[in-house]
Amino acid sequence: MKKNIRNFCIIAHIDHGKSTLADRLMEQTGSVAKRDMQSQLLDSMELEREKGITIKLTPTRMNYHLNGQDYVLNLIDTPGHVDFTYEVSRSLAACEGAILIVDATQGVEAQTLANAYMAIDANLEILPVINKIDLPSAQIEKSKKEIEDVIGIPAQDAPCISAKEGINIDEVLKKIVTDFPSPKGDENEPLKCLVFDSFYDNFKGAICLIRVFDGQVKVGDKITFMQAGKQYEVTEVGVFTPKMEVKESLMAGEVGYIAASIKSLSDVRVGDTITMTEKPTQEPLPGYKEVQPVVYCGVFAVDGSRYNDLKEALLKLKLNDASLQFTPEVSTALGFGFRCGFLGLLHLEIITERIEREFNLEIITTAPSVSYKVIKTNGEELEISNPSNLPSPVEIDKILEPMVVASLFTPPEYVGAIMELCQEKRGIYKNLVYLDKSRVRIDYRLPLGEIIYDFFDRLKSATKGFASFDYEMDGMMSAKLVKLDILLKGEKCDALSLIVHESFAYNRGRAIVEKLKKIIPRQLFEVPIQAAIGNKIIARETISALRKDVLAKCYGGDVTRKRKLLEKQKEGKKRMRQIGSVEIPSEAFLSILKLDEDK
Amino acid sequence: MIGIYVHIPFCESKCVYCAFASFVKDESFQSDYFEFLNKEIRTCKFEDRQVSSIYFGGGTPSCVKPEKVAEILAVIKAKFNVLGNTEITIECNPCSTSLEKLKTYYLAGFNRVSFGVQSLDDDMLKFLSRRHTKAQALDAIKNAKAVGFENISADLLLGLPAGDIISDAEKLISAGAKHISAYMLQVEDGTPLKDMVKRGEANLPNDDQTVDNYQKLVDFLQKNRFLQYEISNFALNGFKSKHNYAYWTGQAYMGFGLGAHSFDGKNRRWANANNLDDYYKRKITQEVLSDSEINEEKIMLGLRCSEGFNLKDVSFNLEDKQDFKQMIEDEILIREKDQVRLNPKYYEISNSIILKLLS
Repeated sequence: MKKNIRNFCIIAHIDHGKSTLADRLMEQTGSVAKRDMQSQLLDSMELEREKGITIKLTPTRMNYHLNGQDYVLNLIDTPGHVDFTYEVSRSLAACEGAILIVDATQGVEAQTLANAYMAIDANLEILPVINKIDLPSAQIEKSKKEIEDVIGIPAQDAPCISAKEGINIDEVLKKIVTDFPSPKGDENEPLKCLVFDSFYDNFKGAICLIRVFDGQVKVGDKITFMQAGKQYEVTEVGVFTPKMEVKESLMAGEVGYIAASIKSLSDVRVGDTITMTEKPTQEPLPGYKEVQPVVYCGVFAVDGSRYNDLKEALLKLKLNDASLQFTPEVSTALGFGFRCGFLGLLHLEIITERIEREFNLEIITTAPSVSYKVIKTNGEELEISNPSNLPSPVEIDKILEPMVVASLFTPPEYVGAIMELCQEKRGIYKNLVYLDKSRVRIDYRLPLGEIIYDFFDRLKSATKGFASFDYEMDGMMSAKLVKLDILLKGEKCDALSLIVHESFAYNRGRAIVEKLKKIIPRQLFEVPIQAAIGNKIIARETISALRKDVLAKCYGGDVTRKRKLLEKQKEGKKRMRQIGSVEIPSEAFLSILKLDEDK
Repeated sequence: MIGIYVHIPFCESKCVYCAFASFVKDESFQSDYFEFLNKEIRTCKFEDRQVSSIYFGGGTPSCVKPEKVAEILAVIKAKFNVLGNTEITIECNPCSTSLEKLKTYYLAGFNRVSFGVQSLDDDMLKFLSRRHTKAQALDAIKNAKAVGFENISADLLLGLPAGDIISDAEKLISAGAKHISAYMLQVEDGTPLKDMVKRGEANLPNDDQTVDNYQKLVDFLQKNRFLQYEISNFALNGFKSKHNYAYWTGQAYMGFGLGAHSFDGKNRRWANANNLDDYYKRKITQEVLSDSEINEEKIMLGLRCSEGFNLKDVSFNLEDKQDFKQMIEDEILIREKDQVRLNPKYYEISNSIILKLLS
């Protein structure tokens, strides 16, 4: 049985056609009838489909017949974006093989390379596939050569396909069977399963997505989560076709899910090993390394009374996304909320959008920050990811900021623009390589804090969207950083504080007070808006006092209309936050994140 | 005691800023309306009530035949208990108000006339598409005085692109106005003015300029012994509008005619439909106010008046509210025993203050 199972994933750069190929494989194996086929079935989250990227993993079991044999092919999807490297590693651990898609019009991209190396490190068999051969600009031979040169794996026999047009898909299926090894493992050994993902079902509780390495599991089994140390009784086992389909049991080598009426979301940790309570395995599987978030921001409910709903939402999202971290935070401006850690800006954006869409919660996020190391004059070391926690300047000996090494890939004509941008962002030039006539790789060492501000947008506009960009963490470096505070009528607004480089403080401060002046409505009194570093005011604007609100005639005794109008305004006030006596609309907190868009 | 409002939804033409229920219609159309109105009053269930005020508003009550209006007033007098000192007002447009018409009104029993002057700048009157001129407006007031009206009111608009509201007020007073209402021009949805603003054809002053003019007007009227008894209303001693005051102080009133509003003085408000088909089918909308809505109204309406509201009339404890204490301290609100009123300096932003008190 085991020898007819193939567990594999697909790795690719964004937009190289991974989801389309997955769709095609399912269609070809009859897992989904063509008429039921919603394009890109694996990207099931609404948000994923909108952004055209895959974030969440959805495994799919396909049946395939070759040379008189029935095979079970388990496809475990992986995300392609740099923020989700962690999720890729999760998927890889459950597979024996990986399909590496290369877009014949683009060649090997930075992300392709990074993920391919991860797969090689995880001892997976790699099957290169050249996609988009239907396009006139496809360069098949060049792509094959690049795979061999850059990645170092043979590619002459790589299937050349068009996932979009359904060309040569069968060749890929055949190769999955012939090239990928069947899973090892022994069903007579004690149970050993890897939890590689989970999600929450309102009726069944937490659902664990598992790969069985040894033994077998069925309904009624008493199981233990080894790392969490929790015991449960299995209520359901099954596979994804891609819909959930109940099975009697799952055996060594198989991929599927377990439900066990798990109500406590924190009991399920991705990377944990499940075994039998009665007859446990000796050794748990090596877990995943805890990933460290690199971007932080405060998340608050617009309606402050929905704090508990926000907490519930974060817990549920965490179940499916172990990389999300959060701790409670109290802001004088925004009340009770959470400081959340993310893998990157896209991750931040996706999580906050999911909170709003899937949990119907309106939220305010504060400006993203990185985690700084602060060495105080008394020798004490602090990790600061919330600007308002930064000690006063006199107590600080130095501040270290996280750095990245960024590789920027661009057509040669944008080299100048990119270098200018990187210099402006306090980058340190490392290297420049002509990959071929049409592509240059530029390496810069850059402060992460500069990248999370507006780097992506600036890069995109500077290169008309032609440049791509990849980075990895590269230690810490000391820098002249200061805390920029925003004061409203003399009161500091903690949720608007930022840590910025000294040389940017003035411009940033000016831009923020100008923006706030536009967004904060006039109040009963005059409101000075100031930007300050310590006690020094570096920018100031004033919102003059409100002079007039509607002086409407209460015509013909129509008091109802007047009251309704008042009630509507009262409703609007709920969305306001109070700093001292000043009322700020929640939009104000978001607006300072997008200072440059208005220019 | 109740107030009675009668709505006459007809005009010679529609003004650019008007969002009220009114239209330009021929006489047979008007006859149907008056016939129905007559029936509505005769069959209503509020008899044996003493009437403190009657108000004919519109639209333009002066644009229909004066006999029609007189007839409706007679129906009201027959149905209700109308005393000799009952205030009986008719709204008039200066251009449709001849000496003859005014005489008819006076003889029919009207004792107060309110002119929709809006401005005494002929360019501004054109801008507003009013049909009268400065001269007609001043003549109308003189004529009203001549036929015996003592209680004469004039409406002015603040927030117009040009004109001098102080000199307008001065001329109106010397012509004989004893009461002045000054409202700020509002750009309502669905009006031609809104479109003009959108197209950049209406060069309206900003809030600061409008408020400056408002304050100048308040000062001027005060010097001329006009008491500001409500945010937008000013009167010489003895000439406050009883009818409008009833709206603000929570008295009961009955409204007849298209889109007219009524209040039982306790917790029920209702209104006739504001399209004719539904009105003729006697469709009404109504609401029963909750306790908190009653409180809101008392504060909202009370703070518009110079008298304010009484803390004992509000069923929740406002005194414990931090915002309330702060506003007393800042002299935004003025408290004398249990009576709380708004400092007139803050009338222009009464909405924000009311909101602060209520949220």
